[in-house]
Amino acid sequence: MSEAGGAPRLADLDAALAGQAPLPRDNGELVFEEPWQGRALGMGVVVLERTGATWAEFRRHLVDAIRRRPHDPGESAATAYYAAWLDAVEALLAEKGLVARSGAAGAETP
Amino acid sequence: MSDDPDHGHHHPRPDSEVALRARALEALLVSKGLVSTDAVDAIIELYERDVGPKNGARVVARAWTDPAYRERLLADGTKAIAELGFGGAEADDLVAVANTATVHNVVVCTLCSCYPWAVLGLPPVWYKSLPYRARMVAEPRAVLRELGLELPDEVEVRVWDSSAEVRYLVVPMRPAGTDGLSEDALAALVTRDCMIGTGVPPTPGPAT
Repeated sequence: MSEAGGAPRLADLDAALAGQAPLPRDNGELVFEEPWQGRALGMGVVVLERTGATWAEFRRHLVDAIRRRPHDPGESAATAYYAAWLDAVEALLAEKGLVARSGAAGAETP
Repeated sequence: MSDDPDHGHHHPRPDSEVALRARALEALLVSKGLVSTDAVDAIIELYERDVGPKNGARVVARAWTDPAYRERLLADGTKAIAELGFGGAEADDLVAVANTATVHNVVVCTLCSCYPWAVLGLPPVWYKSLPYRARMVAEPRAVLRELGLELPDEVEVRVWDSSAEVRYLVVPMRPAGTDGLSEDALAALVTRDCMIGTGVPPTPGPAT
């Protein structure tokens, strides 16, 4: 648990992402349909901690990624959201010069 | 359950492209020293309590208060949880197993981490750990004791091995002294561990 000691509370994430990019919830509870979605969320939180990036910065990338992501009617809302979340993590790291953008974060991907 | 380690456990749905991408990104971040798998686990562990197994608790509380619902739940778990608005891709085949005075049920996934997401949210980190997965089948009583659950010898322990096809939900016994409680108050007694079978609901003290 100690490694999560400095992590923001879920309520802080909600406050930071409210409005344009709220975490997917159902009946008040977070929705993770598959394990990778939870891991995506965890990665984002850890990356922000380690890089000192702000939630405002991340939110900008996330909103941008959601907007750019082609709508796939066969995809659930949580899948679309956390796929955009991965895009946003990559975009943030690219902006910080820490990791080169993979092709997947770009406009394409089938 | 069967001792055969290869009982059709392979995932019929291969990992999606986006799941593979998430794994690749995590591996990259780990290699760059930007995250550790433990740190990501810790975040999930922190938030999983917020995710909460509240859906499952509502299902159990309904089963405790409505015998007809209990019957439907044990007959067809998937259909019964859908009545309460729960379900989804990974709840295709949910089987509810009820504890009794003589039988205690516990759920494991020996080969991976199949889990009834729709009703229990995110699985606890230990559920995916190798020791839990391996030992719960071999020596369930010992593992349960280590987790703080001492079962009388006369209680039979049934271990249910989840798979991609079938997920299990344990319906614990309703604790004594809860006759006057509302469904909401009952649901509050039902913890995640009760529904995995590694715990039992607390009996409310006389003070409450």
